[in-house]
Amino acid sequence: MPDISPSLSNPSLLSRFWFHTRRNISNPHLYLGLLGIACFGFLYYLFTEGWPLPRFEKLPGPVAVFTEWFSPDPMWGISIYSEEYYQHIWASVRRVGIALLIATGLGVPLGLLMGWSKVFKDYSFPVLELLRPIPVLAWVPLAILMFNDTETPVIFLATLASFYITVLNTMLGVESINPNFIRAAACLGSKPHHLFLHVILPGALPFIFTGLQISVGISWFSLVAAEMVSGQYGLGYLILNSYTSVTYETIVIIMMTLGLVGYASSALVRFVGRQLMQWQARALALENR
Amino acid sequence: MNAAQQKLQQGALSIQDVSKIYDPDGTAVEALSHCSLEIAAGEIYMVLGPSGCGKTTLLNAVAGFHPVSSGRILLDGEVLCNDKTPQAQQNSDRMVVFQNGALFPWKTLLDNVSYGPIVQKRLSPKEAREKAEALLREAGLIDISHKYPGEISSGMARRAEIVRALINEPKVLLLDEPYRAMDALTKAIMHENLLKMYELNPVTIFFITHDLEEAVFLGHKVAIMTTRPATVKEVIPIDLPYPRDHRVLSSEPFRLQVQRVKASVRSEAEKAFAAGEKELA
Ligand SMILES: Nc1ncnc2c1ncn2[C@@H]1O[C@H](COP(=O)(O)OP(=O)(O)OP(=O)(O)O)[C@@H](O)[C@H]1O
Ligand SMILES: [Mg+2]
Repeated sequence: MPDISPSLSNPSLLSRFWFHTRRNISNPHLYLGLLGIACFGFLYYLFTEGWPLPRFEKLPGPVAVFTEWFSPDPMWGISIYSEEYYQHIWASVRRVGIALLIATGLGVPLGLLMGWSKVFKDYSFPVLELLRPIPVLAWVPLAILMFNDTETPVIFLATLASFYITVLNTMLGVESINPNFIRAAACLGSKPHHLFLHVILPGALPFIFTGLQISVGISWFSLVAAEMVSGQYGLGYLILNSYTSVTYETIVIIMMTLGLVGYASSALVRFVGRQLMQWQARALALENR
Repeated sequence: MNAAQQKLQQGALSIQDVSKIYDPDGTAVEALSHCSLEIAAGEIYMVLGPSGCGKTTLLNAVAGFHPVSSGRILLDGEVLCNDKTPQAQQNSDRMVVFQNGALFPWKTLLDNVSYGPIVQKRLSPKEAREKAEALLREAGLIDISHKYPGEISSGMARRAEIVRALINEPKVLLLDEPYRAMDALTKAIMHENLLKMYELNPVTIFFITHDLEEAVFLGHKVAIMTTRPATVKEVIPIDLPYPRDHRVLSSEPFRLQVQRVKASVRSEAEKAFAAGEKELA
């Protein structure tokens, strides 16, 4: 058992953050990762601008894209200096945020109930399993029929797939709990609400966060698709709009932005998960994982 | 009878003619067959039997985790279960320490230990924490009381689990092979620690094991179970004075007691081996 000095056994948020940053900086994975990105960037440059292949001729190369992206006076209106750029980002981030809140707010309780009650699961599981394979895009017409503004259908579509995943993972999380924990809780004199709060919920939490991690990705995926179909703002809308107005640099800027924002949102989920599950983070840290 | 035991009025467990058949309509595995045990208040009662004979089944029936097929179990003369109500109520008067450990991994040791009295509303959260700290100190765990179970060794975790049980002042402590899979040295330390905790917090202990020397070292009595379906073959009183410590292990009386138990167990072990029961050491 490695000995951790008392001052380290209950580290503050800040010191934990520094610990992780320091560990990441001194980690070869980081540099190998950066090298990989550099290689990819170089190939991208080579095939589009350096020595353009016939198939990639029409694609904007990295130099053109980055010049536009960081230009104070962009040719097509979208760069890190334009207000519009942030308005689109915000529109999409907000929708994903709302979608995830709804998916989690409805999905976690439903999943807990399904994992908890065998009877309830028998009722609801088949319905879920029949709805789940329907691709999100198949819902577009009904979504537009149901909600006759432009904002709600987009959020609805971004919520849907995340919702299924949250429900399923939460249910699996409850089912994965070692039955001896439940027996122990009963011996210790827990009432049902204690059992729920102190055993079921924390026991399912690792699975819930695994689900959330996947949900974030799926939610962005559905959102961009939905924004292309309906919507007047947002990154998906902007991609399609740039295509019709032949501003290809903007398309690539938005694609890269989506990559960055998507990465940031799953990093945020991971971070929150680590904070809520210190018990797991610390046990894993001891195993050097 | 030692001093700790004499103080104790509560915790006499009487198991009368208990049988348990798993899945009676299907494969019908008979795990217990007419088992009877009389455990006096404050006794350390060791139940020794070969792997897979039905020891956990008996403990689960006492704890109320599953019903018995016939027979009855009484605690201080009150019926826990009988033919009319075959499954005992789960209650904090019987605390279980599980074969594979069941500390909540998401709570620190301190929160694990103080959990019982808080949810039972026997103590305020503040009092519960104070009492938990006192008990953890007795068990030599106070320095790691803010750690999570995943951060500590299995020996420490087992001690903490026993503390989590004792803080509820149960009448009976049910231990299901708590020191299985530990090396001999760690086991010896755990045994002395358990006896110390017992001196400080006397309680009836129902202790399942298939380790012969463990049974003789700890127990007032050793009940020897037959192979499945388990029934009680023989109850051997262990005539060694408490407090016992590691020096007992090398004494002549200890050796004689072990031999006595070994002779009784040996034929059962051979039967189990011949029946091809899987060995789960
Ligand atoms: N739920 C069950 N359904 C059917 N058979 C079971 C069930 N639980 C246990 N058994 C069988 O009952 C017998 C006794 O099991 P039990 O777990 O009580 O043994 P044990 O003495 O505790 O063994 P071990 O030393 O392996 O812990 C075993 O043969 C086991 O396979
Ligand atoms: Mg067992």
